[in-house]
Amino acid sequence: MAKTMEELYQERMTRYSKAMMLEKPDKVPFRPFAAEIAGKIAGYNAQEVTHDVDKALDAVIKMCKKVDGIDATVSNMVYVWTGLTESYGTKYIRIPGIDLEVDESFQYMEPRTEENAFMKADEYDRFIENPTEFVANVWMPRISKYIKMPGETNTMANNMAWLRGGIAMMMYGGKIGAHVQKMREEAGVVSCLDGALKAPFDILADKFRGFRGIAYDMRRQPDKVLKATEAVAPHMLWNALGGANADKRIPVSHWMHRGATGFFSNEIFEKFYWPSLKMVTEKIWEAGHQTIYYAEGKWGKNLQYFRQLPDKSIIFHCDKDDIYEVHKVLGDKFCISGGVPNHMLAFAEPADIRKHVKKIVQDFGKDGGFILDAEAIMQQDVKVENFIAMAQACTEYGVV
Amino acid sequence: MMLDPKNVTGVTMPWEEKKKEYPVIKGDVETVKKWWEQIDGVACAFLWFVVTAM
Repeated sequence: MAKTMEELYQERMTRYSKAMMLEKPDKVPFRPFAAEIAGKIAGYNAQEVTHDVDKALDAVIKMCKKVDGIDATVSNMVYVWTGLTESYGTKYIRIPGIDLEVDESFQYMEPRTEENAFMKADEYDRFIENPTEFVANVWMPRISKYIKMPGETNTMANNMAWLRGGIAMMMYGGKIGAHVQKMREEAGVVSCLDGALKAPFDILADKFRGFRGIAYDMRRQPDKVLKATEAVAPHMLWNALGGANADKRIPVSHWMHRGATGFFSNEIFEKFYWPSLKMVTEKIWEAGHQTIYYAEGKWGKNLQYFRQLPDKSIIFHCDKDDIYEVHKVLGDKFCISGGVPNHMLAFAEPADIRKHVKKIVQDFGKDGGFILDAEAIMQQDVKVENFIAMAQACTEYGVV
Repeated sequence: MMLDPKNVTGVTMPWEEKKKEYPVIKGDVETVKKWWEQIDGVACAFLWFVVTAM
């Protein structure tokens, strides 16, 4: 007799949970971080899955029903709903179908000059004193076409931007909550992330000072950069725990950028990036949650630092590092995910994917603590037949 | 690490500040406080949601 959706869900949840806790599940879990590829499978272009959140969520359901073997996936990996970001007039996102071709992925546009930076070099003290005040009164007016700073002449556009933005966030939260339940009931698939963390240094570099700005600041005013990471860290923790899964079986997501070894030296990592991130990760673990370190790029020189974290507190997602090396350094303490290069998914043939997946799951699956995924989020360049081959091969060879 | 006392999470306007608007609260103070803090917390969540996720 065929399994019910709930039976499938429970089986997949157990599989996913065991792997993350370094145990050996019945099969290597397949947990694709499927972004625009979900739309491609469902017949939607990038504009549709980026600007129309209902289509984005529908695409995930269709993908889960169409592709056998998905144990867990992200409820909406095209996470930026640009209908929401347009509601308050965001300046820094380029949107498919508006600024970009309909089948291009949305893009973040970092200000290129100090004059246009969302936080100026001389504003650290105000930020450090009260980051929430800075976000509300300085950052939001700078990143929005509509929002005014206190003291500026008020407008209806300002008032309505706040109202629309707040309502849109509540709409998005409601839709995601219902969608996670729908994934469970209609496809028996686990929503693999809950809650969002950014490293304090990353948030400062990505959203406030920009890469050029932070690079100058670390030389010119290093103490203030450090204090700013410490000041924003509690807010990153609060934000992560606020969205975290109540039953604590689903990990918090953590998207990692500027700590990659291509950007800065080990000394910079050790001084500016790691202390506040370590503190926040440990607090999340103390609260009973794991964190997925989605380590974009190469992190080889910094892998050793992660060993300072409690056993099992993170799942390390391997992007461009050698996954065999990562497994050697971290595999005794943490679950590792990844394994399939995106260039293969875009350019190779299904037979190549099957061969590669077979080797990866047989090499790592025998000890447990491994989750199969692509190296990076999967966008529209991934061939559908390769995505299906990845799922099928994990089902076929993942029982080891 | 030492944080500035103004640097608190989940709050845009503390209850202590809001409370000053009322010369007297004739009924249950905790009810008024609870819902002020809950909704203010969601407003704060909006700010940090935009910063971290969008």
